[in-house]
Amino acid sequence: MVKPVDLSVPIGPKLTLKNPIMNASGTFAYGEEFARFMDLGCLGAVVTKGLSLQPKRGNPTPRVTEAPSGMLNAIGLENVGLERFLEEKLPFLKGYDVPVIVNFFGASETEYAHMAARLDQTAVDGLEMNVSCPNVKKGGIQFGRDPHTLASLVKIVRGQTSKPLIVKLSPMTSDMAEMARAAEEYGADALTCINTIPAMAIDEETRRPILGNVTGGLSGPAIKPVALKMVWEAAKAVRIPVIAAGGISHARDAVQFFLAGARACQIGTQALVEPFCFSPIIAGIEDYLKRQGVERLTDIIGALET
Amino acid sequence: MQDMIARVVGNREVAGRTYLLTLECDMEAYRPGQFVMLKAGGVSDPLLRRPLGIMEYRSGTLALLYKVKGEGTRLISGLHQDDRVAVLGPLGQGFQDPPQEATVIYVAGGTGAPPLIALASHLKRGRFLYGARTREDIPFECLPHECLICTEDGCCGTKGLVTQALSSALGHGMSMVYACGPLPMLKKVWTLAQAAGALCQVSLEERMACGFGVCAGCAVETVKGIARVCSEGPVFRAEEIVW
Repeated sequence: MVKPVDLSVPIGPKLTLKNPIMNASGTFAYGEEFARFMDLGCLGAVVTKGLSLQPKRGNPTPRVTEAPSGMLNAIGLENVGLERFLEEKLPFLKGYDVPVIVNFFGASETEYAHMAARLDQTAVDGLEMNVSCPNVKKGGIQFGRDPHTLASLVKIVRGQTSKPLIVKLSPMTSDMAEMARAAEEYGADALTCINTIPAMAIDEETRRPILGNVTGGLSGPAIKPVALKMVWEAAKAVRIPVIAAGGISHARDAVQFFLAGARACQIGTQALVEPFCFSPIIAGIEDYLKRQGVERLTDIIGALET
Repeated sequence: MQDMIARVVGNREVAGRTYLLTLECDMEAYRPGQFVMLKAGGVSDPLLRRPLGIMEYRSGTLALLYKVKGEGTRLISGLHQDDRVAVLGPLGQGFQDPPQEATVIYVAGGTGAPPLIALASHLKRGRFLYGARTREDIPFECLPHECLICTEDGCCGTKGLVTQALSSALGHGMSMVYACGPLPMLKKVWTLAQAAGALCQVSLEERMACGFGVCAGCAVETVKGIARVCSEGPVFRAEEIVW
């Protein structure tokens, strides 16, 4: 009889996932829609849409368009706000056997700190700090561009919470290793690499940008090779777990990220196109491990031979 | 909502760059006004599915009417009989039935006809007004028999905009106007309906990524805040929209 493989992965000292597949923030809303046709409990974790202290209306439309093997979005972090989330959405998510990770962002260091302190007092299982959204003027990428600003912010947020703290990094850095080390040094429990890549699309007939926000973030298979390199660089630079995001569409993509050093993977754009993709991806990873004669997923993490 | 692999029964051009695609799939749960997200082939380019309004569903056969606008619809237009295609649906909120006593008027502009054709065949009453730019844009065989056609160039039916036809159609009694088409047309329809004291439901179009409510791409401003065209819509009561 073939022994079952162990897909569980620790994400820091306080959080262990039963399998390495979670959704990416912003492609899953607050889980209610997916819960209508899948068991959220099959995921390693659920990551909420990015939350701010106050509700946000988001950007003007069009908010989405396509690119070769990818899509651009400029949603603008539309969300219900932290308090309404805690009141209306969190109890629903806590009804499933799955860790709930809250993605959040602030317009200032004080706001990040305030949110972290508030979240610390709730039933959420982890915090994913967004310092890398390309589509809002405040509360995003401005905190994630250079290691000093990032370090200062991570230190402040760390001081407010003892929950697992994940920092989601932008690909827009000249040195991923340095950014990863800055977050680790100041208290991050894990990193998510990468957010979308700033991009734009133009309609040549109207001579106008296609997106209402003019620019947006590129995601999907088009960015997978970029994400792969950045995850590889980050994972080499730090001891804390790296969670991969960026164009992961199939089990073999996920496996490539594990080999590059990722401890877990987030599925984003693919879930918009194929909402039923999660279970097949998890099963595909299991198949790969069996085929390779590997008993534990953790045995192949960072196993890339160069 | 189900994700199905449907067999193509037919796919042929019924007007200029406008195709009638028929698929063998189960869409029993469907209501007029709902749509599907369709993906041709297992390709990643173009990546996203295309939202297509349902024109008809009858005993296991789904009919979709679409115009080739870009790469995605061009690929769909290349589907042949017995090809397989992924269909996610039914999606969104359909039309609400009219009050018994109301006169029903449908106003379709250009590619906005499919959901109204579905509704008209479900309600089996009302006047159908259809506006197009010119003759070659009109999918004659898909339109209801008693359809008033307006063309902007006057080469077919009444010359002028379909909204002019609506002005004359709105009578003294209570009317229920259902509309789908370009945004300027919908605005005009609502202005006229409001002035005549008529009820009005509109089906909106917006660029979508997921089609089932998770990406927040297809936002529209309503009096109750931002709504998703794919989930709270695509059909809205006209007075809910911030025009």
